[in-house]
Amino acid sequence: MHEVGIANSIMEAVGTEMRPYGGARPVKVTVKVGAMSGVDRDSLSFCFEAITRGTLFEGMMLAIEDTPADELELSSLELEQP
Amino acid sequence: MSGTTTTVNLERKVLSENDRLAAELRSEFARHSIFCLNLISSPGSGKTALLERTLASFPKDKRVAVLTGDIQTDADARRLARYGFPVRQITTAGACHLDAKMIVRALEGWDLASLDTLFIENVGNLVCPTSYDLGEAAKVVLLSVPEGEEKPLKYPGIFFKSKLMVLTKVDLLPYVPFRLDDAIANARSIQPGIEILQVSNTTGAGIDDWLRWIEKR
Repeated sequence: MHEVGIANSIMEAVGTEMRPYGGARPVKVTVKVGAMSGVDRDSLSFCFEAITRGTLFEGMMLAIEDTPADELELSSLELEQP
Repeated sequence: MSGTTTTVNLERKVLSENDRLAAELRSEFARHSIFCLNLISSPGSGKTALLERTLASFPKDKRVAVLTGDIQTDADARRLARYGFPVRQITTAGACHLDAKMIVRALEGWDLASLDTLFIENVGNLVCPTSYDLGEAAKVVLLSVPEGEEKPLKYPGIFFKSKLMVLTKVDLLPYVPFRLDDAIANARSIQPGIEILQVSNTTGAGIDDWLRWIEKR
Protein backbone atom coordinates (compact mmCIF):
# COMPACT_ATOMS: atom_id res chain seq x y z
CA MET A 1 0.00 0.00 0.00
CA HIS A 2 2.82 2.42 -0.75
CA GLU A 3 1.36 3.29 -4.14
CA VAL A 4 -0.08 6.54 -2.78
CA GLY A 5 3.46 7.70 -2.06
CA ILE A 6 4.67 6.55 -5.48
CA ALA A 7 1.73 8.31 -7.19
CA ASN A 8 2.53 11.46 -5.25
CA SER A 9 6.18 11.32 -6.34
CA ILE A 10 5.02 11.03 -9.96
CA MET A 11 2.69 14.01 -9.56
CA GLU A 12 5.46 16.11 -8.01
CA ALA A 13 7.86 15.14 -10.79
CA VAL A 14 5.33 16.16 -13.44
CA GLY A 15 4.91 19.52 -11.67
CA THR A 16 8.67 20.10 -11.67
CA GLU A 17 9.21 18.98 -15.27
CA MET A 18 6.45 21.14 -16.75
CA ARG A 19 7.66 24.34 -15.08
CA PRO A 20 9.84 25.43 -18.02
CA TYR A 21 6.83 25.09 -20.31
CA GLY A 22 4.71 27.79 -18.57
CA GLY A 23 0.95 27.61 -19.43
CA ALA A 24 1.15 24.06 -20.84
CA ARG A 25 -1.39 21.45 -19.78
CA PRO A 26 -0.17 17.99 -18.73
CA VAL A 27 -1.80 15.31 -20.88
CA LYS A 28 0.05 12.08 -20.23
CA VAL A 29 2.93 10.78 -18.18
CA THR A 30 4.56 7.45 -19.01
CA VAL A 31 6.16 5.42 -16.26
CA LYS A 32 8.12 2.18 -16.49
CA VAL A 33 7.07 -0.24 -13.75
CA GLY A 34 9.13 -3.41 -13.45
CA ALA A 35 7.66 -6.75 -12.49
CA MET A 36 10.17 -6.86 -9.59
CA SER A 37 9.63 -3.27 -8.43
CA GLY A 38 7.13 -4.17 -5.74
CA VAL A 39 4.60 -1.74 -7.21
CA ASP A 40 1.12 -2.88 -8.16
CA ARG A 41 0.02 -1.31 -11.46
CA ASP A 42 -3.73 -1.26 -10.79
CA SER A 43 -3.23 0.16 -7.36
CA LEU A 44 -0.86 2.82 -8.75
CA SER A 45 -3.40 3.87 -11.41
CA PHE A 46 -6.15 4.05 -8.81
CA CYS A 47 -4.01 6.14 -6.45
CA PHE A 48 -2.85 8.47 -9.21
CA GLU A 49 -6.41 9.21 -10.24
CA ALA A 50 -7.45 9.74 -6.63
CA ILE A 51 -4.65 12.12 -5.64
CA THR A 52 -4.76 14.21 -8.83
CA ARG A 53 -8.48 14.90 -8.45
CA GLY A 54 -9.08 18.60 -7.88
CA THR A 55 -5.52 19.52 -8.89
CA LEU A 56 -4.19 20.86 -12.19
CA PHE A 57 -3.15 17.27 -12.95
CA GLU A 58 -6.74 16.01 -12.87
CA GLY A 59 -7.68 13.99 -15.93
CA MET A 60 -4.14 13.48 -17.16
CA MET A 61 -3.32 9.96 -18.25
CA LEU A 62 -0.90 7.70 -16.43
CA ALA A 63 0.52 5.23 -18.95
CA ILE A 64 2.33 2.27 -17.45
CA GLU A 65 4.97 0.40 -19.46
CA ASP A 66 5.64 -3.09 -18.13
CA THR A 67 9.30 -3.97 -17.83
CA PRO A 68 10.88 -7.19 -16.57
CA ALA A 69 13.21 -6.08 -13.76
CA ASP A 70 12.90 -3.61 -10.88
CA GLU A 71 12.57 -0.36 -12.87
CA LEU A 72 10.46 2.43 -11.44
CA GLU A 73 11.23 5.25 -13.84
CA LEU A 74 9.61 8.26 -15.41
CA SER A 75 9.86 7.76 -19.11
CA SER A 76 8.17 10.75 -20.80
CA LEU A 77 5.69 13.54 -20.31
CA GLU A 78 3.26 14.82 -22.90
CA LEU A 79 2.20 18.46 -22.62
CA GLU A 80 -0.35 20.41 -24.64
CA GLN A 81 0.65 23.98 -25.29
CA PRO A 82 -2.00 26.59 -25.98
CA MET B 1 -9.12 25.17 -29.91
CA SER B 2 -6.42 22.55 -29.85
CA GLY B 3 -2.82 23.34 -28.96
CA THR B 4 0.39 21.68 -30.00
CA THR B 5 1.63 18.69 -28.12
CA THR B 6 5.16 18.51 -26.78
CA THR B 7 6.73 15.32 -25.46
CA VAL B 8 9.43 15.71 -22.84
CA ASN B 9 11.83 12.81 -22.22
CA LEU B 10 12.27 12.30 -18.50
CA GLU B 11 14.42 9.16 -18.03
CA ARG B 12 14.75 9.36 -14.29
CA LYS B 13 13.73 7.36 -11.27
CA VAL B 14 10.30 8.00 -9.78
CA LEU B 15 11.79 7.89 -6.29
CA SER B 16 14.74 10.10 -7.22
CA GLU B 17 14.47 12.14 -4.01
CA ASN B 18 14.62 8.98 -1.89
CA ASP B 19 17.48 7.69 -4.04
CA ARG B 20 19.38 10.96 -3.60
CA LEU B 21 19.14 10.70 0.20
CA ALA B 22 20.03 6.99 0.06
CA ALA B 23 23.12 7.82 -2.00
CA GLU B 24 24.14 10.39 0.65
CA LEU B 25 23.66 7.77 3.38
CA ARG B 26 25.66 5.23 1.38
CA SER B 27 28.59 7.62 1.03
CA GLU B 28 28.42 8.51 4.75
CA PHE B 29 28.48 4.78 5.60
CA ALA B 30 31.43 4.30 3.24
CA ARG B 31 33.29 7.26 4.76
CA HIS B 32 32.99 5.67 8.22
CA SER B 33 33.45 2.08 6.92
CA ILE B 34 30.03 1.10 8.24
CA PHE B 35 28.50 -2.13 6.96
CA CYS B 36 24.74 -1.58 6.82
CA LEU B 37 22.13 -4.31 6.31
CA ASN B 38 18.42 -3.77 5.63
CA LEU B 39 16.40 -6.69 7.04
CA ILE B 40 13.04 -7.30 5.37
CA SER B 41 10.37 -9.95 5.89
CA SER B 42 6.69 -10.56 6.60
CA PRO B 43 5.57 -9.64 10.11
CA GLY B 44 6.55 -12.38 12.54
CA SER B 45 9.28 -14.08 10.49
CA GLY B 46 11.90 -13.48 13.15
CA LYS B 47 13.77 -10.27 12.28
CA THR B 48 13.87 -9.09 15.88
CA ALA B 49 14.66 -12.58 17.19
CA LEU B 50 17.57 -12.89 14.72
CA LEU B 51 18.88 -9.51 15.86
CA GLU B 52 18.57 -10.57 19.50
CA ARG B 53 20.66 -13.68 18.77
CA THR B 54 23.13 -11.56 16.82
CA LEU B 55 23.57 -8.87 19.48
CA ALA B 56 23.80 -11.48 22.24
CA SER B 57 26.73 -13.11 20.43
CA PHE B 58 28.73 -9.90 20.01
CA PRO B 59 31.44 -8.81 22.45
CA LYS B 60 30.44 -5.79 24.54
CA ASP B 61 32.87 -3.53 22.68
CA LYS B 62 31.41 -4.37 19.25
CA ARG B 63 30.69 -1.16 17.35
CA VAL B 64 27.16 -2.02 16.31
CA ALA B 65 23.81 -0.21 16.36
CA VAL B 66 20.24 -1.00 15.33
CA LEU B 67 17.41 1.03 13.84
CA THR B 68 14.11 -0.80 14.08
CA GLY B 69 10.96 0.22 12.25
CA ASP B 70 7.37 -0.48 13.20
CA ILE B 71 4.03 1.12 12.49
CA GLN B 72 3.36 1.47 16.21
CA THR B 73 5.07 0.77 19.58
CA ASP B 74 8.68 0.73 20.69
CA ALA B 75 8.41 -2.91 21.78
CA ASP B 76 11.21 -4.05 19.45
CA ALA B 77 13.59 -1.32 20.52
CA ARG B 78 13.01 -2.30 24.15
CA ARG B 79 13.66 -5.97 23.33
CA LEU B 80 16.89 -5.10 21.51
CA ALA B 81 18.17 -2.47 23.97
CA ARG B 82 18.72 -5.18 26.60
CA TYR B 83 21.95 -6.20 24.86
CA GLY B 84 23.65 -2.90 25.66
CA PHE B 85 24.16 -1.55 22.13
CA PRO B 86 22.60 1.66 20.77
CA VAL B 87 19.08 1.01 19.45
CA ARG B 88 16.55 3.46 18.08
CA GLN B 89 12.93 2.82 17.23
CA ILE B 90 11.46 4.42 14.11
CA THR B 91 7.68 4.57 14.46
CA THR B 92 6.15 5.19 11.05
CA ALA B 93 2.61 5.92 12.31
CA GLY B 94 0.96 4.09 9.46
CA ALA B 95 3.57 3.93 6.73
CA CYS B 96 4.24 0.35 5.62
CA HIS B 97 7.96 0.78 4.98
CA LEU B 98 11.01 2.82 5.97
CA ASP B 99 12.36 5.42 3.56
CA ALA B 100 15.75 7.12 3.37
CA LYS B 101 14.51 10.32 5.01
CA MET B 102 13.45 8.36 8.12
CA ILE B 103 16.95 6.87 8.35
CA VAL B 104 18.60 10.29 7.99
CA ARG B 105 16.40 11.61 10.81
CA ALA B 106 16.93 8.58 13.04
CA LEU B 107 20.72 8.85 12.72
CA GLU B 108 20.77 12.49 13.83
CA GLY B 109 22.94 12.95 16.88
CA TRP B 110 24.63 9.56 16.51
CA ASP B 111 28.39 9.53 16.13
CA LEU B 112 28.83 7.40 13.03
CA ALA B 113 32.57 7.30 13.60
CA SER B 114 31.88 5.04 16.60
CA LEU B 115 30.14 2.37 14.49
CA ASP B 116 31.19 -0.27 12.05
CA THR B 117 27.94 -2.23 11.70
CA LEU B 118 24.38 -0.93 11.39
CA PHE B 119 21.32 -3.14 11.21
CA ILE B 120 18.08 -1.66 9.92
CA GLU B 121 15.05 -3.76 10.76
CA ASN B 122 12.37 -2.72 8.29
CA VAL B 123 8.62 -2.70 8.92
CA GLY B 124 7.23 -6.24 8.56
CA ASN B 125 6.09 -6.27 4.93
CA LEU B 126 7.35 -8.14 1.86
CA VAL B 127 6.15 -5.60 -0.69
CA CYS B 128 6.58 -1.91 0.09
CA PRO B 129 10.11 -1.91 1.60
CA THR B 130 11.30 -3.37 -1.72
CA SER B 131 11.04 -0.01 -3.48
CA TYR B 132 12.99 2.11 -0.99
CA ASP B 133 16.77 2.22 -0.98
CA LEU B 134 18.04 3.07 2.51
CA GLY B 135 21.71 3.32 1.60
CA GLU B 136 22.36 -0.24 2.80
CA ALA B 137 25.17 -2.48 1.55
CA ALA B 138 22.64 -5.28 1.09
CA LYS B 139 19.03 -6.19 1.61
CA VAL B 140 18.47 -9.42 3.51
CA VAL B 141 15.11 -11.17 3.19
CA LEU B 142 13.90 -13.54 5.90
CA LEU B 143 11.46 -16.32 5.14
CA SER B 144 10.15 -18.40 8.01
CA VAL B 145 9.38 -22.03 7.41
CA PRO B 146 5.68 -21.86 8.44
CA GLU B 147 5.03 -19.23 5.74
CA GLY B 148 5.42 -21.79 2.96
CA GLU B 149 7.83 -22.35 0.12
CA GLU B 150 5.89 -20.28 -2.41
CA LYS B 151 6.69 -16.88 -0.89
CA PRO B 152 9.53 -16.12 -3.36
CA LEU B 153 7.14 -16.66 -6.27
CA LYS B 154 4.32 -14.66 -4.70
CA TYR B 155 6.55 -11.71 -3.70
CA PRO B 156 9.32 -11.84 -6.31
CA GLY B 157 10.46 -8.22 -5.95
CA ILE B 158 12.16 -8.56 -2.61
CA PHE B 159 13.80 -11.89 -3.48
CA PHE B 160 15.08 -10.28 -6.69
CA LYS B 161 16.70 -7.42 -4.77
CA SER B 162 18.11 -9.27 -1.76
CA LYS B 163 21.68 -10.52 -1.56
CA LEU B 164 20.80 -13.11 1.06
CA MET B 165 17.73 -15.14 2.01
CA VAL B 166 17.66 -16.36 5.61
CA LEU B 167 15.27 -19.25 6.17
CA THR B 168 14.17 -18.94 9.79
CA LYS B 169 12.40 -21.25 12.27
CA VAL B 170 14.06 -24.30 10.68
CA ASP B 171 13.55 -26.13 13.99
CA LEU B 172 9.90 -26.39 12.86
CA LEU B 173 10.76 -28.29 9.65
CA PRO B 174 9.67 -31.67 11.08
CA TYR B 175 6.27 -30.23 12.01
CA VAL B 176 5.17 -28.15 9.02
CA PRO B 177 4.59 -29.14 5.39
CA PHE B 178 7.45 -27.01 4.06
CA ARG B 179 9.45 -28.32 1.11
CA LEU B 180 12.91 -26.90 1.71
CA ASP B 181 14.30 -27.82 -1.73
CA ASP B 182 11.34 -26.13 -3.42
CA ALA B 183 11.80 -22.97 -1.34
CA ILE B 184 15.44 -22.76 -2.42
CA ALA B 185 14.59 -23.53 -6.06
CA ASN B 186 11.85 -20.88 -6.01
CA ALA B 187 14.18 -18.22 -4.65
CA ARG B 188 16.87 -19.14 -7.21
CA SER B 189 14.30 -19.04 -10.04
CA ILE B 190 13.79 -15.35 -9.17
CA GLN B 191 17.46 -14.63 -8.57
CA PRO B 192 20.00 -17.36 -9.40
CA GLY B 193 22.77 -15.72 -7.36
CA ILE B 194 20.90 -15.28 -4.07
CA GLU B 195 22.80 -16.64 -1.07
CA ILE B 196 20.83 -18.80 1.36
CA LEU B 197 21.26 -19.54 5.06
CA GLN B 198 19.13 -21.60 7.42
CA VAL B 199 18.71 -20.58 11.05
CA SER B 200 16.65 -21.23 14.12
CA ASN B 201 16.49 -18.34 16.53
CA THR B 202 14.98 -20.72 19.10
CA THR B 203 17.72 -23.38 19.12
CA GLY B 204 20.54 -21.22 17.78
CA ALA B 205 21.16 -23.57 14.84
CA GLY B 206 22.79 -21.80 11.91
CA ILE B 207 23.46 -18.58 13.81
CA ASP B 208 27.21 -19.09 13.43
CA ASP B 209 26.80 -19.23 9.64
CA TRP B 210 24.91 -15.94 9.77
CA LEU B 211 27.61 -14.32 11.96
CA ARG B 212 30.28 -15.55 9.56
CA TRP B 213 28.32 -14.13 6.63
CA ILE B 214 28.31 -10.72 8.35
CA GLU B 215 32.00 -10.90 9.29
CA LYS B 216 33.23 -11.77 5.81
CA ARG B 217 31.74 -8.57 4.37
